[in-house]
Amino acid sequence: MSEPFEPKITAFVCTYCTYAGADLAGTSRLKYAPNVRIIRLPCTGRISPMFILKALQKGADGILISGCHPGDCHFTHGNYHARRRWMVFRALLSFTGIPEERIKYSWISAAEGLKFADLINNITEDIRKLGPFDQYHKLIEETQAQASL
Amino acid sequence: MSIEQQYRTRAKELLSAGEVKMVIGYGAGTTAERRRPLFITSPDETERLVLDSACIANLSGYLVTEGLLSDEKRVAVFLRPEGIRALNVLAAEAQLDPLQVVIIGFDLPKGELKALQGSSVDDFTALLGALKESTPDVDGRELLEKIEKMSPEERFAFWQEEFSKCIKCYACRQACPMCYCRRCIVDSNQPQWVNTSSHTLGNFEWNIVRAFHLSGRCVECGNCDRACPVNIPLRLINRKMAQEVLDSFNHFAGTSKTQEPVLASFKKDDSETFIL
Repeated sequence: MSEPFEPKITAFVCTYCTYAGADLAGTSRLKYAPNVRIIRLPCTGRISPMFILKALQKGADGILISGCHPGDCHFTHGNYHARRRWMVFRALLSFTGIPEERIKYSWISAAEGLKFADLINNITEDIRKLGPFDQYHKLIEETQAQASL
Repeated sequence: MSIEQQYRTRAKELLSAGEVKMVIGYGAGTTAERRRPLFITSPDETERLVLDSACIANLSGYLVTEGLLSDEKRVAVFLRPEGIRALNVLAAEAQLDPLQVVIIGFDLPKGELKALQGSSVDDFTALLGALKESTPDVDGRELLEKIEKMSPEERFAFWQEEFSKCIKCYACRQACPMCYCRRCIVDSNQPQWVNTSSHTLGNFEWNIVRAFHLSGRCVECGNCDRACPVNIPLRLINRKMAQEVLDSFNHFAGTSKTQEPVLASFKKDDSETFIL
């Protein structure tokens, strides 16, 4: 009997809003799916597209990127820069065949613990329905195969 | 007098008057239909310059050769409209001073050689502005539309197949006038973002990174496409991204020397329909 599929989700969040929101979810004793691995960064402007590729390279099935609402950035406009970058990167990933549904973006403030918990639950369910990202996992396996001489 | 002869004379005048220290143009290549870049520093050599419908390479990348423009002397260069756009992007990104570059402009509409009037980037503003409005006639438009209609799985399979051919020679990077970073992200091994082995995964990542770094900067000169030894349709990705940037931010790379780079600027009302 095979075990049910548990998606691996990587969340890149900014420390000033979304991380604080996640913290609030925790201190409010809200339960949310344990499938998410949160990586805390200074600002969404710090989130390089390379992080997304790295997460996929390490076998993530889904990715969440989240930061402060527009106008709320601790560094005044890190999230505006990030938004443009995501827009372009998202189109590029879609064109190369990485499904848009696997990579989600959100604004979550420090007061939105509930939104964070709900979002994680929803994303987990969505990715569970999509199943593992087999196409990408096959590429990863290829790199791990033993070299035959 | 043929355009080629006119431009040889012009190059000769520029060099003998000491207005420029070098002319970057085209010379005869190894076969009849190939041209190679020619770097001319003396007026006597200008007869070696060739200008015809085979001169398709974008020479603007040579302008950022280390040390070339650091003595504040001027350099003349043969450029097509794409090359002039590339020069604008380089100037906007503070890689060179456009006043140090004398443009010898030409175009090849439908393979016919045509001279362009003007010598500094500002002389071509109207021409480049008109390019933005025109629909580019790119090779492979049908393939592009075909890919856009595919499902994500099919698209992934398509690119997987294409990128599996990649041998990571980085000729696309070398040929690109926009790829001037002294240390490219793929050369970084601590941390190593992209697998450098010849597995498809690393090839996939490399090509995504390359296309992303060129988004909103690519002028579609086609240097990468022609340089690729395994014929990956790199131009299609660049075309797609240029279209995306034009649609989303009304940005057409290289229309002026002071244009703000699209990914280094923002508007407060940029679209965010995809953000939850």
